[in-house]
Amino acid sequence: MRTSSSPLLVELTKTKAFIYKNWIMTKRNVFTLFEILFWPLVGFLSVGLLTEFAALPREMRAFILVGIVSMSAVQVCQLDVSYVLLYDVWSKALKHGFIAPVGIRHLLLGSSVVGAARGGIVFFLLMVASYRLFQFDFTVPGAGALTLFILGLFLCATTVGALVCILVLTFGNRAEVAAWSLVSLMLLVCGIYYPVSILPNWGTALAALIPLTYFLEYFRHFYGFSPIFSHVLLKGYALVFIYLVLEVYLMRAALNRAKRTGLLLKLSE
Amino acid sequence: MEYAIEVKGLRKTYVSGWFRKRRKEALRGVDLTVPRGALWGLLGPNGAGKTTLLSVISNLLIPEAGEVRVLGIDLRTNGRELCTRINLSSGHANFLWSLNVRENLEYYGMLYGLVGKARQVKVDGLLDLFDLREAAKTRFDELSTGTKQKLSLAKALINDPELLLLDEPTVGLDPDVARRIREFIIRLHRERGTTILVTTHNMREAETLCEEVAFIKDGTIRACGRPEQLKRDLRLADTILITFHGTLPAPSLEGMEGVYGLQADNSSCRILVDDHRERLPQILDLFSNQKIAIHDLRIQESDLEDVFIAFAR
Repeated sequence: MRTSSSPLLVELTKTKAFIYKNWIMTKRNVFTLFEILFWPLVGFLSVGLLTEFAALPREMRAFILVGIVSMSAVQVCQLDVSYVLLYDVWSKALKHGFIAPVGIRHLLLGSSVVGAARGGIVFFLLMVASYRLFQFDFTVPGAGALTLFILGLFLCATTVGALVCILVLTFGNRAEVAAWSLVSLMLLVCGIYYPVSILPNWGTALAALIPLTYFLEYFRHFYGFSPIFSHVLLKGYALVFIYLVLEVYLMRAALNRAKRTGLLLKLSE
Repeated sequence: MEYAIEVKGLRKTYVSGWFRKRRKEALRGVDLTVPRGALWGLLGPNGAGKTTLLSVISNLLIPEAGEVRVLGIDLRTNGRELCTRINLSSGHANFLWSLNVRENLEYYGMLYGLVGKARQVKVDGLLDLFDLREAAKTRFDELSTGTKQKLSLAKALINDPELLLLDEPTVGLDPDVARRIREFIIRLHRERGTTILVTTHNMREAETLCEEVAFIKDGTIRACGRPEQLKRDLRLADTILITFHGTLPAPSLEGMEGVYGLQADNSSCRILVDDHRERLPQILDLFSNQKIAIHDLRIQESDLEDVFIAFAR
């Protein structure tokens, strides 16, 4: 295509393509609305009511509510990044996307914008519900800390979604199950419902490799929980950026492998 | 001559399975050149390697050996440069199910970096060109097969490609829609000078559309050329059936240039010729000179289908 538009505008337009696709698919499919409204609310209410029933002290309830709200937002956001590839796989249109002059950066950036919007809605809804139903206030740490925390969550979600895309480009559609299971695995080791200090040593070492652990520790310290790791915010952001750069390269490698093995065509049939 | 596609010694083997590897050789040393501005056909039976070859040319598949230059670009080193200059449309079109026709075109327009007003103009132009205005707001999963195929072709023109690859563009379409798609392909080629490589099983379609064809079987190109040339090369005969009254000048007929064979009895004969258009006047002259009355004359023309069958055997 011979175009006279500025390179920046062209870059933005290619990124916008993925925002456009994910946004319309979200608007028109009932399961995506369930992902925002139904499952997070059911999970949140179940856990919240359990904390009432168990008559947990106020700070314990805070610990658990921060965990469930964060996990719900991360899950929804990472799904959008995974969907950017899965929508094409499910509609068997993958080759049309990859024959076009777009890069991995457009794909990840565009889908994470929609993911952040959807994840943001989930976070906001559950934040309001926390306050109304369980008198837990997410705004105590202040707007700056809350923004840093939410941004960290969405970047974590992008790394998870990118990993799903890499797995699908490597193993085919049987790997799509990762879109729903990776976050559940993180739930085990990142300290969603309990502190990572209660994990065996190997579990704590594993948790130290996942950025979400640090962001949760960062936010919870405003509610009186001392982090077991040092410089949590710095480590969280450093890890997340290292993973994102690594994943862009891995995704390129996975795409080339899919072109060599014929998987890219198989996913389009 | 300037070539749009130059392929030399191309090999592609599909390897599947993680532990027990299974290998399937899809291309076994393909050589092919397609001139710029040509409308070429790639023919062959199922599993011959047509789609694999098209996928390599469109940089969706990386071969393990061979040279591929498309529009002068070496795919081994500069494959990404090619993306903006080619496009692909497949039979059994598939696009995002929730997006309507216009939205699908908008989406692909954005992927190709078309900005704002220019994209609107392009999408509107394609909707008009393919008569898709009425279906513009219909979701892809609610479209008829013919409309899906039109959308696929419209999408393939979103970037005004210099090289258009069409993989069985009329498969599964009713004859009327298939005819209109063929007419469009011919018009596109004539008016824009786009190089088009089309794969098809439909021999009549190949004869209607293509200036030249290449036959691929078992991963190798078996023959290339104009359909009539291929028929001649294979000595595929047209048959002239004549019912007559008189004495047949058999030796003169058999000795005539372009006559492959003759079967005759007292009142009818079957003459096999290379090209009936060229040979019939001479045969009629001979009958006339010998004062043989012709009661009935029929012609059975060999076509590309016979060529296909000859190569597929």
